[in-house]
Amino acid sequence: MFRRKRTAHDFAEEIKAHLELEADQLKDEGLSEEDARWQARRAFGNVRLAQERFYLKDRWAFLDQAVRDLRFALRSLRQSPGFAATAILTLALGMGANTAVFSVMNAVLLKSLPVDHPERLVFLETSNPPRGTGTVDTHLTFSYSVYQSLSSQNHGLSPVMAYVPLSASKVAVRFGAEPEEAEGEMVSGTFFSGLGVNIPFGRGFSPKDESDHAPLAVISYNYWTRRFARDPNVLGKTFFVNAIPMTIIGISGQGFEGVEGGHSTDFWIPLQNRPELNAWGNPPNEGKIYTTDPTWWCMRMIARLAPGVSREQALAQLQPTFQHAAFVGLVMKMEDEKPPVLSFADAKNFYGSEDTYAKPLHILMAMVCLVLLIALTNVVMLLMARNATRQREFGLRLALGAGRGALLRLLLMESFLLVTAGGALAWTFAVAATRILGQWAQIESSLAPDRTVLLFTLGALALAGVLFALAPMRVAFAGTAELALRTSAATSNADAGKSRTGRVLVILQLAMCVVLLVGGGLLIRTMRNLENTPLGMKVDGLVVFGIKPNIPSVPEEKMFYQNLIGKLRILPGVESVTIMNERLGSWWSNNSDMLVDHRLPDVANGTSRMVRWNIAGPDFFSTIGVPVLSGRDFADSDTASSPMVGIINEEFAKRFLPNVNPLGHTFGPDFDNGKISMTIVGVVKNHKYRSIDEEPIPMAWYMYAQIPVVGAMNVEMRVHGDPLLILPSARKVVQQMDPNLPLIKPITQRDQFNTTISQQILFARLAGCFGFLGIVLVATGLYGTLAYRVSMRTAEIGVRMAVGARRGQVVWMILRDSLLLTGIGVVIGVPLAMLVGHALAASLYGVKPLDALSYMLAVVGVTAVALAASALPAARAASVDPLKALRTE
Amino acid sequence: MATQNNNDDRIALLQGTLDLLILKTLALGSCHGQGVARLIQRNSEEVFFVDHGSLYLALQRLEDKKWISAQWGVSENNRKARFYSLTAAGREQLAEKAGEWKRLSRAMGLILNGTMGPTGEEA
Repeated sequence: MFRRKRTAHDFAEEIKAHLELEADQLKDEGLSEEDARWQARRAFGNVRLAQERFYLKDRWAFLDQAVRDLRFALRSLRQSPGFAATAILTLALGMGANTAVFSVMNAVLLKSLPVDHPERLVFLETSNPPRGTGTVDTHLTFSYSVYQSLSSQNHGLSPVMAYVPLSASKVAVRFGAEPEEAEGEMVSGTFFSGLGVNIPFGRGFSPKDESDHAPLAVISYNYWTRRFARDPNVLGKTFFVNAIPMTIIGISGQGFEGVEGGHSTDFWIPLQNRPELNAWGNPPNEGKIYTTDPTWWCMRMIARLAPGVSREQALAQLQPTFQHAAFVGLVMKMEDEKPPVLSFADAKNFYGSEDTYAKPLHILMAMVCLVLLIALTNVVMLLMARNATRQREFGLRLALGAGRGALLRLLLMESFLLVTAGGALAWTFAVAATRILGQWAQIESSLAPDRTVLLFTLGALALAGVLFALAPMRVAFAGTAELALRTSAATSNADAGKSRTGRVLVILQLAMCVVLLVGGGLLIRTMRNLENTPLGMKVDGLVVFGIKPNIPSVPEEKMFYQNLIGKLRILPGVESVTIMNERLGSWWSNNSDMLVDHRLPDVANGTSRMVRWNIAGPDFFSTIGVPVLSGRDFADSDTASSPMVGIINEEFAKRFLPNVNPLGHTFGPDFDNGKISMTIVGVVKNHKYRSIDEEPIPMAWYMYAQIPVVGAMNVEMRVHGDPLLILPSARKVVQQMDPNLPLIKPITQRDQFNTTISQQILFARLAGCFGFLGIVLVATGLYGTLAYRVSMRTAEIGVRMAVGARRGQVVWMILRDSLLLTGIGVVIGVPLAMLVGHALAASLYGVKPLDALSYMLAVVGVTAVALAASALPAARAASVDPLKALRTE
Repeated sequence: MATQNNNDDRIALLQGTLDLLILKTLALGSCHGQGVARLIQRNSEEVFFVDHGSLYLALQRLEDKKWISAQWGVSENNRKARFYSLTAAGREQLAEKAGEWKRLSRAMGLILNGTMGPTGEEA
């Protein structure tokens, strides 16, 4: 039964009634009116107390007590706002950095895909593809025929889902008149249902959509938000993907951005079978696309374990099917060839890019843990210092009757306050930091902290809270009540200045400071080296964008490019224009062994014959600014009907045509029995192709007009002034030729190259930031502690000076102590730093892990901080009038 | 509960016994708080002194447990008063607690009146 709670007023009424009744009765018993009233009152006892107890009846007494403790702790913290602010800020910085990095690590390395039962999902991997196949990734991609045979069975895995991007970068789409670019994927009909992705608006695909190759699309929540401002009318709309119409039938749930982390998919369509929508945006290979070419292993697969089937069972059941399917449609299986082996990998959020992020993230995590450790030490030292000076206060409180429990409660509550405030601030830092980090790292998936991160942070905070409460306890309770009352402030604190715990903490901080300085120094030098690496070309003034014309006939396509180059060349401000197949500085390259003079070149044992090659247009080297060492550049006069020509770089000549003039020799790909062969007409200087940090490697170029496949190209333009300003007029030229074509990923060539080191730069910058943060914390902590230690010795200094010590001697005494601590700190820190340098080795560029300069600078830096931190207070102490110092006693 | 009354031989109530006394008193019929206090005092031949503040809190506690119910009414001498009466649950409680108490007091009686003691210690 629900009953309204009785009010305190009602209770007071009852007491009043009682007093009247009692008085009435007493009057009846013969007392006077006044006496009766007084007697009734007296018999009742404390009315207020009864009322208060009624009030407290349903309340938790300890909560009330806690509120009182909280108020008290707040008051006592407010008395030293400097201390409170420093402690809270220090904690917030340390904890915030930790939370942010852990949050990124959680999103990248720990989190599972945001789908139904991710633990039952597996990514399919193969040990190797069969010989005679081309892959996108040696271990992660499969052919369409493998997908079909695996998905047609249903005992081990059910269902098997395949997905493949429509382009290596972005694909051309058009909603209205203007073409634009988006990230699109072709997926199997079971993709959404099999993953268990929520489709709140519209529907996902069905297996029938896949077999019909239906022109339907599901767009992602992010894309819907970004592109359509969550307009619900987008359902049923038709848009064009590479000029093929697709109808939007669904919008995926928030949080699902495709199965691979790092980038987000904008839309999905069922697997198609038309050349315009080939996998990866490739042109058909001799008329074959991904569905008809069993030699092209280009699809990724994810699957759900069939109900009641374990991973091992599923694998055992599928292995024979896979090994059979792997060779379907291939010419022959070689005798000695090892069959490919299927394996499963966890459905992690950042599948496929874990390796790229794992190492730097672990190092960053270690760094921020170090920063947190420093921050915690700082706060502990602050607390110890503060509570040591409060010994008298505690003594007095004990003497006045406070229990030790009450003091403990006060310390706990103060620590609780500090930790809560610091934690809240840290969380704010972390949320902002992850957002910025995501932008810097160009990770489109969400890195925001989630519940796991919250638990991690709360756990760390709880630890910090206990630490902060317990650390000062020893100091606080060191003196008994009477001792504290008897002794003066100065002498009761003298011991604290020399306490062993304090010394150990200072040494620890100095050691950590050395580690951070060395690590930060190495990474910053790496960053410098990367940024200043010469590219071997004149990169400024270049702008690049992608073009993918939908022209099935190769000669017509060549005409298209010839026209395009011609039209772009005459735009005002343009110096020269060329095209290339693989974009410079995009990590992509074509690689294969090459025949030189119709045979595989001799190479020293074990060295590779691999050549990175590219397809280039006229004036290629003069446009990108690479010097031609001998011979000539490609020209408009190199056409399909003129002799086939090729250009190589220095490294190619050195490796495969040593000691001869390479001009006039030939090279060609190691297939088609050497039918295609190019006469070398030029040798160019080595320059960077895929990325900034690559080593020189043999390179060769074909002229686009002379080879039988063309497909998508990148246009490179050298212009006067800001290169990006040419884009609107270039866009107009392209759209006049084909209204469906957007400029794909337009960017300056410099920025394009910088994307290849952005991760290292980001890593180095972050590490530098954390290193700097750590050093600032160490410096302030050291200064605070050393200054405090010195000030505690004011009385001692007074005595020394009174008995004749000179100022210099006193200062030296203090400095000697600090230098000793620094020495020990360095001795401990340097080996630790060497370990860290070793761990960093893979992330370094152009600098050795044992870089002497970095170590020297670190040691000098630490010593400088320690000296500065102790010299100032030492000088101040020494300039104190001895009599005054003695009087503080 | 400590009171200022230190000049008589009344006994302060043991913790937990007050509830039983209230239930027993109300078993005789519904009554207001002041009446309950008086009745306890009178029926114990003035031995028990009931701290009035504690009494009202105890009444409230019993009411919260639904062992007694309360209603504002008018006393015989026309005063407003809150009348308490025993509920069915309260009657059960009374039987149970009374039984408990009788066992306890019998055991106390056995020990206090008996001659046995720790062997060897008895003179």
